[in-house]
Amino acid sequence: MDINNPGTTVKCWVDMYADNMYSWALYKTGNKEIAEDLVQDCFIAAFQAMEKFSGKSDVKTWLFAILNNKIAEYFRKQFRSSRVFTSEGTATSNFFEADGSWLKNQRPQEWTDDETQLLDNNEFKKILQSCMDNLPGHWNAALQLKYLEEKKGEIICQELGITATNFWQVLHRAKLQLRKCLENHWFNK
Amino acid sequence: MKKIMHLLLLSCKKATELIEKKSLVGLSFRERVQLNIHKSVCEACTAYEKQSIKIDELMQKHIQAEGSGPDNTGSNTQLKEKIITKLPQT
Repeated sequence: MDINNPGTTVKCWVDMYADNMYSWALYKTGNKEIAEDLVQDCFIAAFQAMEKFSGKSDVKTWLFAILNNKIAEYFRKQFRSSRVFTSEGTATSNFFEADGSWLKNQRPQEWTDDETQLLDNNEFKKILQSCMDNLPGHWNAALQLKYLEEKKGEIICQELGITATNFWQVLHRAKLQLRKCLENHWFNK
Repeated sequence: MKKIMHLLLLSCKKATELIEKKSLVGLSFRERVQLNIHKSVCEACTAYEKQSIKIDELMQKHIQAEGSGPDNTGSNTQLKEKIITKLPQT
């Protein structure tokens, strides 16, 4: 790596990794323009942080770590901005009585499917993805944040500027909905 | 009767909230006891927790799975050029 000429080095990285990074960002966000912007930001950040990098790790790993940070940042923004528009209060009434017991037709029962390698099944992956896409924006964002990085819950909440209680309550709603969707379209189909 | 039960054993809604909390930040001693007692008498929430853990595992793998996205759509020359023109000039 030619540290004396960061411009050339980054250009070279763009050529080698931009395509992969773009597909990953597109897959995560589902939006071409956002994916382009994220990859763009990522290279600007890489350019500026060049000195810190200095070949300690694999270039690709480093770039993807920056990209995943940018993606998490995007979901945090998404979580904050779409949160106001969807109501959480009514969401649980689709599942529970006013006193908090399960509605009769919603009581969970054991799933019959015991396949262990579900994610090798493309049909299942499609259903999982579409169930996620059908969630309100900030619920999906909350799930992405929970699973994207292996961070402690407390840290995710700090970064979001909300209390932990607030965050797991959103996740609770999201999980109820996601579980129902998977059950309807896969497990007890 | 139901009310007393909920007071002692939590409602199912509350129990499923604790199941979520458990996987994110963990439970206090009191919450852990409450949840375990609730599950010992509630088949629905026991099934729910099992499924919730399964969903967690699936989501974790699905979301972190690099390269499980759409096939690389080939080289995107336009994007590359755009990125390069926007880099700070040296």
